Amino acid sequence: MAIEVLGMSFEVTSAWLIWMLPFAAALIMPGIGKLSKKSTGYVAVGFALMSALSAASLIPLALEAGEVHSQIMWIEALGIKAGVLADPLSIIMANVVGWISFLIMIYSTGYMKGDKDITRFWFWMLFFIGSMQLIVLSDNLLQVFFGWEGVGLASYALISFWYRDKKKDHVGVEGRTVLGMLDYYSPTHAGMKAFIMTKVGDVMMIAGMLLIFLFAGTFGFKELMGDTDWATAMAAQGLLVPAFVLLFGGAMGKSAQFPLNEWLLEAMTGPTAVSALIHAATMVKAGVFLVARIGPIVFALSAAGIMADQFFEIIAWVGAITALLLATQGMVNPEIKKVLAYSTGSQIGYMMMALGIAGLSHQYVDGYTAGFFHLISHAMFKASLFMAAGALLHIVGSRFMTDMGGLRKHMKKTYAFMWAAGLGLMGAPFITTGFWSKDAIFAAVYESGNEWALPLFLIAILTAVITAFYTTRMLGMVFFGKKSKHIEKMEEEGHHIHEASASMWIPYGILAVLTIGIGIIGLSAEEGIHHVFTEYLENSFGIHSAHVTAEASILPGFLQGLNPIALGSSLVAFATGIGLGYIFYIGRWVDPVKFVNSNIFFYSIHKLFLNRWYLNAMVYWCFVTTPLWLARGVSRYFEKTVIDYGMNDGVQKAVSWSAKVIQGTQTGVSQSYLFVFGAGLLFVVLILLI
Amino acid sequence: MLEITSTPLVIMAILGTVGILLPIISIARKEQGSNSFYAIIAFSALIVSMGYVGYQFIEDNVSASALFSEDVVVDDAFGGFFAIAMLIVALFTTVGSFNYMRKHNSPAVYYSLILLATIGMVLVAYSTDLVMLFVAWELMSIPTYILVGFMKKNPSSNEAALKYFLFGALSSAIIVYGISLSYGLTGSTNIGEVIQGYSVLDPSLLPLALLSVGLFIAGFGFKMGLIPFHQWLPDTYEGAPAPITALLAAATKKAGFAATIRIVILGMVVLHLDWSLALGIIAVMTMTIGNVAAIMQKNISRMLAYSSIAHAGYILIGLAVASHSSLGLQGSLYQIMNHAVMKGAAFIAIAGIVTTLAVTHIDKLKGLGRRMPITALGLVIALFALAGIPPLSGFWSKLMLFGSALDAGSALWWAPWLAIAGVLNSALSLAYYGWLTRKMYFEGEDQKRVVEPKSIMAVMIFSTIFLVGFGVYPEPLIKFVEFATPVIDLGIMP
Repeated sequence: MAIEVLGMSFEVTSAWLIWMLPFAAALIMPGIGKLSKKSTGYVAVGFALMSALSAASLIPLALEAGEVHSQIMWIEALGIKAGVLADPLSIIMANVVGWISFLIMIYSTGYMKGDKDITRFWFWMLFFIGSMQLIVLSDNLLQVFFGWEGVGLASYALISFWYRDKKKDHVGVEGRTVLGMLDYYSPTHAGMKAFIMTKVGDVMMIAGMLLIFLFAGTFGFKELMGDTDWATAMAAQGLLVPAFVLLFGGAMGKSAQFPLNEWLLEAMTGPTAVSALIHAATMVKAGVFLVARIGPIVFALSAAGIMADQFFEIIAWVGAITALLLATQGMVNPEIKKVLAYSTGSQIGYMMMALGIAGLSHQYVDGYTAGFFHLISHAMFKASLFMAAGALLHIVGSRFMTDMGGLRKHMKKTYAFMWAAGLGLMGAPFITTGFWSKDAIFAAVYESGNEWALPLFLIAILTAVITAFYTTRMLGMVFFGKKSKHIEKMEEEGHHIHEASASMWIPYGILAVLTIGIGIIGLSAEEGIHHVFTEYLENSFGIHSAHVTAEASILPGFLQGLNPIALGSSLVAFATGIGLGYIFYIGRWVDPVKFVNSNIFFYSIHKLFLNRWYLNAMVYWCFVTTPLWLARGVSRYFEKTVIDYGMNDGVQKAVSWSAKVIQGTQTGVSQSYLFVFGAGLLFVVLILLI
Repeated sequence: MLEITSTPLVIMAILGTVGILLPIISIARKEQGSNSFYAIIAFSALIVSMGYVGYQFIEDNVSASALFSEDVVVDDAFGGFFAIAMLIVALFTTVGSFNYMRKHNSPAVYYSLILLATIGMVLVAYSTDLVMLFVAWELMSIPTYILVGFMKKNPSSNEAALKYFLFGALSSAIIVYGISLSYGLTGSTNIGEVIQGYSVLDPSLLPLALLSVGLFIAGFGFKMGLIPFHQWLPDTYEGAPAPITALLAAATKKAGFAATIRIVILGMVVLHLDWSLALGIIAVMTMTIGNVAAIMQKNISRMLAYSSIAHAGYILIGLAVASHSSLGLQGSLYQIMNHAVMKGAAFIAIAGIVTTLAVTHIDKLKGLGRRMPITALGLVIALFALAGIPPLSGFWSKLMLFGSALDAGSALWWAPWLAIAGVLNSALSLAYYGWLTRKMYFEGEDQKRVVEPKSIMAVMIFSTIFLVGFGVYPEPLIKFVEFATPVIDLGIMP
């Protein structure tokens, strides 16, 4: 293309604009807020749209698997450059982030209507999006880290957005404790928790980054791809895998992977639009993106004989454990946003599992595509589900699903869209994106030929069953059955239960429709991405993919080429999950409460899941209560005694005592002074003689 | 031969003429009261002298720190450096006395004595002959005895003068004894020849040479306020008129250091004596006892008197390690220059407080920050500079001194302990400087502003500019110190 702006090609300009526009909008936001609060929303949405359009303008480049790379000098003394790298990976990601955020911004204009701190809200939302796009388009780790911290800061500010800590903004059941730890969090506490927990990962990440910089002398992705000397040197010292695992530590924090997962649930204290943004487009996806960024670099090293299998094994297992762990907790929680949050963590686990298993298989591109495709489909249906949940909260005025029920007649559009998006999450066969992306993950895991393939595969299937179950449970509890007492009371008081406003339902409607729409052509969409990534990995990293000749498959028609076992398992999982969900929550043939209480085994399991496997309580015991207890001990037994009494008072007493002694010598009598003088003279001469 | 335009001679001529003329003029005018008239004359004479010293430096007529010469005085950078420090203090004293002397008689004599004492101090720094040194020493001392007892109806002023005089007489006797011993041993009073004589001394006579050096240390140590020759000092500083205390603490003390560096340090190098330990012990004792005693004082003059003892200890660190670290003497000179300004300004501030509010007890200083904001600020800056808080000028000189002690650590195992003692003592000194600051600024909320003497404010403004300016940009002062510091090198011995 021949269009040039300021000497830069059209693509380069777009790539810079994608992340700079949201930042620029954030900067002018306070000024606009002063001029007119009403127009802040339009400006914010406008800038989000421009950023998304810039991202869209790069799609043709991605389709031909091209890339643009533009650099400027940043830190002269260290030879560190700043730059943008728009390759298929970052272009696709930038579009996902850009468009989903744009829709969430539109939704926010309705959801946040009338909030008096709206300027601050837009500022941080734009800052959030800008930081995320900075991560996506950076061409080096250091710049990624800046975006990374920006995302962390914005998430802190937005999770604690309602910092007045009103009761309705808390999460958890008031007064409920687990192992003596309160399971009820205020927005400010939740923001702090998210900030600190992700910071643990960030510290690991910067350690990993610096370790790599020490050997490679660069933070740049292109430079790291370029040669392998640094990796050879690191591998020789046994530091290659640790360094990359440390980097992955950052991703674990941001993506809420076990064991840094506990912040994600309390992050629900933020406005629902923020939750949608965190879960679909920005925060948690940053970790997945980072793994997708560095994964091929590490995998490409195997061509040079440098193996880093442990790195991928750790990713795959962390993903698998998180997927199962969080899915189980999602089955029992009564809060709709928390169910969705558990589901996010679990689905991110799937993506990690796929990206990990990719590095352990012969066909890197299969797992890579599967993970990334799932990221895209998840972004759509999860954003849609969150926004719809926000609409429910808005209208029902409660975060508990037990306060909803029977809403399908009142909120027909929301009901339909949540079903569509929910089917995507469940992986409803053949018509949803979720089905295709999940199936691709199953197939990649199953076909990887790795020793861990079978256990990982079984965990993945089990998680799929649970996912289908809790999604059905959520839909059942919200829309089916009788109206809850809460709603009856509301209606008695004259509140009318009605559909959400257009600015709210249109965004999640679009995404729900897309979930189904792209789902119908899902297989070809996946093949398209697969094709792009095959070329991308080939061109950029030299990772070759064997051309798979279509074997004679037992599957008919358009399913030709799919793995029959993965497909079969996927279908069975979906059917089992939705079936069980139907029995309990839609058909209501069995009362779930009675069922759980009917025998001790189900009761214990239920309690374990509801108490978050006791992990959150343990985190608090180990890292909050115990240090505080130690601090009090140090204060009482060391600070007060040794420092205050011993050193502080002791020194003071010693000094004042000596001062009194010296004052005692100052008699004021000249004779004694002269005597001391004479003695001093003798003393000096004696010292000299020694 | 010494040229007629050389700095010491010209200063002597200017200050001497004016100093002698002042009383004569007052007799001729037959009036006692016009304080400002004499003050301005004395001030002008000091300014002209200062200008001449500066002019000589700028014109490059000053030889590098020569230390020895065939004449009785030498016009070298070392002397010039001290002359500037002393003239600054003399100017402080003159300006600070402007208000103080309004209430007292005989201003002409008062200013005349200040000028004559200044000549003495300056000449001590320039002397290269023991007899000349002694004469200058007495010229410095005798006017200050009178000045300390200038308030003749005030018993504590009289007591102060008497104690000062007793000790002064004793130390003069000791110095003369030391001079006579060295003359007897070497047949000369020229410092260069004395030291050369020492280097070829018959070993059997060595104890006598040692005795002479010990006598010099004790004799000069009296003026420097070293422990155990210090006991007169708090009593005298407390009783003397406050501006004169500034002159004693900030200027005559420096004359002691100048003489010590000229004679003792070099003399002992030649005698192959390890004086480091003796001076090191005295340094630690001096600063520790000074600071500890200062903490409990209730009278601000007395507190600063002890602080001034402590500062002699810091300066002595540089002298103690002088032969092992080139930074040693530089640090000492640097600290001497800073101390002249810091301590001079602090005592002038007290003079201002005493004349305006007539209080010296620390509890009465509550709310001084509101009553006399400029004076209080100047005092606090001076105190913080004394404590060595960056970015004030006092920080850099202390840094250099303690750095020299660390630097000498490779040759003297105990030298770093001097630095540790110095740092601990600085921390200790913050206790009373900080306490004083708290009294002035954080207590006594209800105080009203009073009229501050303009002359005191002028000194405060000058000292604040000096301390902050050279604190932020110490480069020129460090260059000057480097230029003025004599190099201890046996190769330059005559």
